[in-house]
Amino acid sequence: MKIAIVVQRYGADINGGAELHARYVAEHLAPHADVRVLTTCARDYITWRNEWPAGTEVIGGIAVERFPVARERDVFDFRDRSAVVFNHDHTIQDELGWLDSQGPYSPSLMARVRQAADECDFLVLFSGRYHHAYHSARVAPHKAVLVPTAERDASLGLAIFPPVFRGVRAIMYNSFEEQALVHALSSNTHVPGVVVGIGSEIPAAVDPDRVRMSYGLKNPFIVYVGRIDANKGCADLFRNFLEYVDRTRRVLDLVLIGTAVLPIPAHPRIRHLGYVSDTDKFDVMAAAELLVMPSPYESLSMVALEAWALGKPVLASAKCDVLVGQCLRSNGGLYYRDTGEFSAALDTLLSDSGVAAALGDHGRRYYREHYAWPVIESKYLEMFERLRTIPPTHVMEPLPNWMARRRRSVAPAEAVVAQLPVGPSRSTPRVDNSRTTDRATVDAP
Amino acid sequence: MADQNQQHGRRPHFHRGRRGPDRRGNDRRHLPPQEQQTSRDHVDVEQIMREIRARISQRHGIDLTTQQIQELAARRLEAILDPRTVKPSLLEQLRRSAGAPVDTRPADPAHSYSFEATTLYESPSGFVRFMRRLLQPVLKLFFNPNPLIQAMHTQAHINQAALAREAERERRQAEWNGLHYEILQRLVTEISRASLETQGLSMRVEALAAKVDFNERRVRGIENTQHLARPAARTDSAPAPQASPVQPQPRESTPADPQVPEGVVRDGSPEGGRRRRRRRRGRRSPMGAPLEGQAPAVVGDPTAGAAAADVDLEGDIDEEDDEAASPDAPTLSSASSLAPSIPEPAYISDPFESPPSPEVSTPVPLASNEASPPAPEPVAPAPADPAGPPEPHEPSDSGSGT
Repeated sequence: MKIAIVVQRYGADINGGAELHARYVAEHLAPHADVRVLTTCARDYITWRNEWPAGTEVIGGIAVERFPVARERDVFDFRDRSAVVFNHDHTIQDELGWLDSQGPYSPSLMARVRQAADECDFLVLFSGRYHHAYHSARVAPHKAVLVPTAERDASLGLAIFPPVFRGVRAIMYNSFEEQALVHALSSNTHVPGVVVGIGSEIPAAVDPDRVRMSYGLKNPFIVYVGRIDANKGCADLFRNFLEYVDRTRRVLDLVLIGTAVLPIPAHPRIRHLGYVSDTDKFDVMAAAELLVMPSPYESLSMVALEAWALGKPVLASAKCDVLVGQCLRSNGGLYYRDTGEFSAALDTLLSDSGVAAALGDHGRRYYREHYAWPVIESKYLEMFERLRTIPPTHVMEPLPNWMARRRRSVAPAEAVVAQLPVGPSRSTPRVDNSRTTDRATVDAP
Repeated sequence: MADQNQQHGRRPHFHRGRRGPDRRGNDRRHLPPQEQQTSRDHVDVEQIMREIRARISQRHGIDLTTQQIQELAARRLEAILDPRTVKPSLLEQLRRSAGAPVDTRPADPAHSYSFEATTLYESPSGFVRFMRRLLQPVLKLFFNPNPLIQAMHTQAHINQAALAREAERERRQAEWNGLHYEILQRLVTEISRASLETQGLSMRVEALAAKVDFNERRVRGIENTQHLARPAARTDSAPAPQASPVQPQPRESTPADPQVPEGVVRDGSPEGGRRRRRRRRGRRSPMGAPLEGQAPAVVGDPTAGAAAADVDLEGDIDEEDDEAASPDAPTLSSASSLAPSIPEPAYISDPFESPPSPEVSTPVPLASNEASPPAPEPVAPAPADPAGPPEPHEPSDSGSGT
């Protein structure tokens, strides 16, 4: 079986969610299939500047073909186009212009995708919102297996995406919430789909004492791992944590791992370790009391899964349906809506070691049963086998004609997203997607 | 002692200051359901979250939903924006501008016109238009219409600019109005929320004050028990010790201190005179006398102070804090002189205990001005033990432990 993975960026040092996801999938499918990666020369996802040389190289035993990006992103143009399509009535042509402006715009990559569609059995397309995934799906819908990594952001409400969700051969979802969103948006239940998610490279052994010594982490602490950004909920995290510290007599630090985009408050209880190695990251997580995950937008929190794999409970923001759903399904974490709940949940986890340990155990079990690599691999392979045996039953809807594409009749994307159902899903992970997910109606944040 | 008490069917005695899991003996309180659950291996995230939210609402005291708070705030806002003092139409405009989108329509086209070079010669009739254009050079022989056209053209531009400015000003004003009303509304909502929290906190303060009061009374009861029980016990087992070398000095009686029990002889021991509790002074009446229903000053031998110090009051009291001995410090009486004359220990019973059996002691009734306690734990009255020394009725889970 030949599989081409098409992704916007690819590299051993790229830790972005979808890109890392693609690399893990490529490396874990490699023993089972002939895997090839088609990507761009870009390293920066903001500008798509060509930083790697075009051509083929081997990364982690996988052949990676890089193609140059023809046009860097003009951030001002992209901002203006986003304002139009997200907030105003607009045309399909506006959306296509927005997609071109977003990038990565690489005609050579698209040409290679056309060619690969004939060579390969399947094209695994990562991140549905990007230019390469959208056009690849339209080039070879009968071979396109889409990993949408869709979040509840405005771009999901664009009118150009539902036909793609309805037209690709199969969809590999990251979470039940994502699946429910895409189903509600595009009514694509006829498309074979499975909630897969992603595993992680959890080390066999961790050494919490080593990082306690090396980083001087003497006090008990909670840890946040990821980009330190307001969009990730870090501003809320700082405010909640500082209020908690002011109110409690408990000695507790907040340790931050990741690149800081947001200014970090200068407070003795907040420690920023910056970007650390994977070994250090896992050791710090193992040394922590719990992982805090304040992000309101996640299609799948890999960090939360890693914390659960290490047996650590998670304290997540209730603004993110996916995180709440994961906490509920795993029984491995608590969630908070505001400062009061943050403090109370944190107190519960810190003061009752029994609860924390039980949540951690549940999380570990959840990870082992649903996100361990053998499980992920088998889900992918089963899906490929299923697609090989069943002929495609649906076709990709063509784009509207020239006139229709220019008719100003498309609703603002924000308004479309606002109408999508909210709340975590209670469904337990399973392969078959014939049953609809049960949306939470009780206790939904 | 605990075993002995159990044999007598009494509540096992545990030292008040004892730390650890057996502090309360067998009759410790059961854990509330939420704590029981935390100890279980199986935890339910939803259940925990429900409990957390319940705890938060309990802490807030008055549990109102956001919607209810907003309704309350709306009523308050109505009260603030009294139509008798504020123009109702203005209020209505404010209200409308807060919720409605800002009107950004262009200026009325009827008021905006353009004046071009051909405007003077335009007509709905094509023939007339043609004729005017044909005769235009003739007209220009009589006068020059260009300045007129230019003036009108400029005026049209000025009009359009003025209309645009006015529309922009109105839009901004509407936005400001909306913002002001929104801010006002939010401020009132926050004030409502804050006042509810204040109410809840004041109720909590009251509850805590009642608890503090209760604890103080309990401490007082323990102290009195200590002072009066020891000498009485000693008289049964040993001959009465000699009185202190310092002769008892009758204390100068003050009108504010009339309740010195009969038979209590004050001792002039300088040590005893110094060893007083600071906290007790604070509980006296303004004139310095103990409150009604409280124990008399101090009785007993010189070890009484040390015995009292054995009582671990969990750090609530400045125990045995020495004061400078004043010349009029009360003297201590000898326990031996006290013991025979008091068949029952003359302590003041803890007002929060169930009354002891009449044959054991006759507690002084609780003063009428004392606040009623918040539901004390019922304690079974100690049965009379004729063989043993007269034992004071101990307050629940407290006592000397010796």
